[in-house]
Amino acid sequence: MSFDTPDIILSLIKIGIVLGLVLSVTPVWVWVERRGSALIQDRPGPNRIGPLGLMQAMADAAKFILKEDLVPAQAHKVLYTLAPMFGLIPAVTTCAVIPFARGFVIPEVIEYSGLIGAILVGGAVAHLVLGIIALRVTSHFGAIAGATRVNQWIGRLVAVGLFATVPLLLGIFFWFRSAGPVEIPFGFAGRHFEPIIADVSVGILLFFALSSLGVYGMATAGWASANKYSMIGAIRASAQMISYELALTLAAVGVLLGAGTLRLTDIVYRQSGTFVLFDTIPLPAWNIFPMFIGFIIFWVAAFAETNRLPFDFAEAEAEIVAGFHTEYSSMKFALFFMAEYMAMGTISALIATLFLGGWDIPYWNEPANFVGFLASFASFILKTSFFLFVFVWVRWTVPRLKYDLLMKLGWKVFLPLALLNIVIVAILIPLGWI
Amino acid sequence: MFEYLIFFTFAAIAVIFSAIVVIHRNPIVSALSLVVSFFALAVMYVLLDAPFMAALQVIVYAGAIMVLFLFVIMLLNLAQTDEPISRPVQQFLGITGAAGFAITLIYYILKAAVIHTGGPAVFVADARAIGVTMFEAYIFPFEAVSILLLAAIVGALILSQRTSAIAKDGGAR
Repeated sequence: MSFDTPDIILSLIKIGIVLGLVLSVTPVWVWVERRGSALIQDRPGPNRIGPLGLMQAMADAAKFILKEDLVPAQAHKVLYTLAPMFGLIPAVTTCAVIPFARGFVIPEVIEYSGLIGAILVGGAVAHLVLGIIALRVTSHFGAIAGATRVNQWIGRLVAVGLFATVPLLLGIFFWFRSAGPVEIPFGFAGRHFEPIIADVSVGILLFFALSSLGVYGMATAGWASANKYSMIGAIRASAQMISYELALTLAAVGVLLGAGTLRLTDIVYRQSGTFVLFDTIPLPAWNIFPMFIGFIIFWVAAFAETNRLPFDFAEAEAEIVAGFHTEYSSMKFALFFMAEYMAMGTISALIATLFLGGWDIPYWNEPANFVGFLASFASFILKTSFFLFVFVWVRWTVPRLKYDLLMKLGWKVFLPLALLNIVIVAILIPLGWI
Repeated sequence: MFEYLIFFTFAAIAVIFSAIVVIHRNPIVSALSLVVSFFALAVMYVLLDAPFMAALQVIVYAGAIMVLFLFVIMLLNLAQTDEPISRPVQQFLGITGAAGFAITLIYYILKAAVIHTGGPAVFVADARAIGVTMFEAYIFPFEAVSILLLAAIVGALILSQRTSAIAKDGGAR
């Protein structure tokens, strides 16, 4: 292993981007979930804090931090404390193997262009607006009883930070416009920037390995709580995870057969371009077309893997109170909550990567430069958001299954169908369809 | 240097948590410690340039087998976790045997082990190479093992069928 400073800095930038995305999934999607459920059930939903209730997540976070952190007297103290961390670690680490945009070569010099100007000015305007919203929200906190002072100071601090970046961004904009071509310093010039944290040869296996550890968080939490309902939740979580991981992995095998590699960047590059159906219709070469059965199985199994309705048997609030996290409060509960949304985010990104061409934009050969990077990044975010939205949509549309039906569906329907998908793909490959 | 740091950290984790598996009285803690130990072992595979084996180690052992173990332990719901020490003869034999094995192992490792610092890679342990080796050179053992596993599955099915049949007619048979 050898390292040099620019490589480390580029890696840190990638980690920053991905971690920022993963951490922002929870607040943003809690808002989408609550407003979306309100839309589906024909009621207003949270609309008090911030415009359209957008700052509700901030208030929720403040509430979680200020709540009392209870530990049941009969609980196994160490495991009770460790369990939320067991749950969160797989959710945060799995995103490391997903490529999130088209790679590009960092140029030797950059000149001022309209795009860069637009990004800088747009960023400045966005920060200004966000700062004003933060101040408005802070004034709202005055109406909430208890610890108002702390909340107000946090809000003011955030607003000041946001306002401070506005002159900074505008300053860079004006300096850049007048300075002419700028050489890229510190040896970054000419380096290839591949937007993935860990481009390992066993990418998808690493994803499955880490995500399969997610069940320990639920199982340990349920057992350590010393509560019958928690225990039932934990046992359900383990049984469900074992059953549906099989279908999930087998559905992905079809993709791996077609691509001939386990590296996720290669899987995405192979899906760019077009595939001509019957010599007339050009379709994007996405895996969804030849492996439609695999796509559906993977998608449904992803619901079971992330414990979302109609498969949320580990918490099933109508049957076992709140399942494995019945006894949890405060930030320990918030960690489970965050882990659930992060797992949803990463599995949505994986569905997009495996079956919908990842960052690929159909009918457009993305250039290997900064424009291509931004456009493909936007495309990746769009696809991931679509699958994330379907998670919400399904939750408020489809009721929970019966537990025995879940097991039957997993073992008697999805497993044979996933095997059938592998056979179909294995027949299609020598025919030249994939 | 960096590799040594990682190796010794995770070697220590593997050894400590393996010891916890044996020593700890609570079966759930033991099972979870075994998961940590498997994970540390997977890091060893990464250091040996075998990321495929590392991923499989975590998927198969930590992700599947240990989940099943934990599931069974929870279902049995062992009431008496702190079992008093009985059977002194067996305990004596077990400790003596384990200690003898450990001493022999340490003796031969100290005698034979040489720390290699970067030699030529003999075998590239990626998915393709492992697949080719398994399905060409070792196809017969591979098929034999799969038949053995099939027999085990059928056996388990028959055993569970028989107990449920007994339960149905009230254990009259």
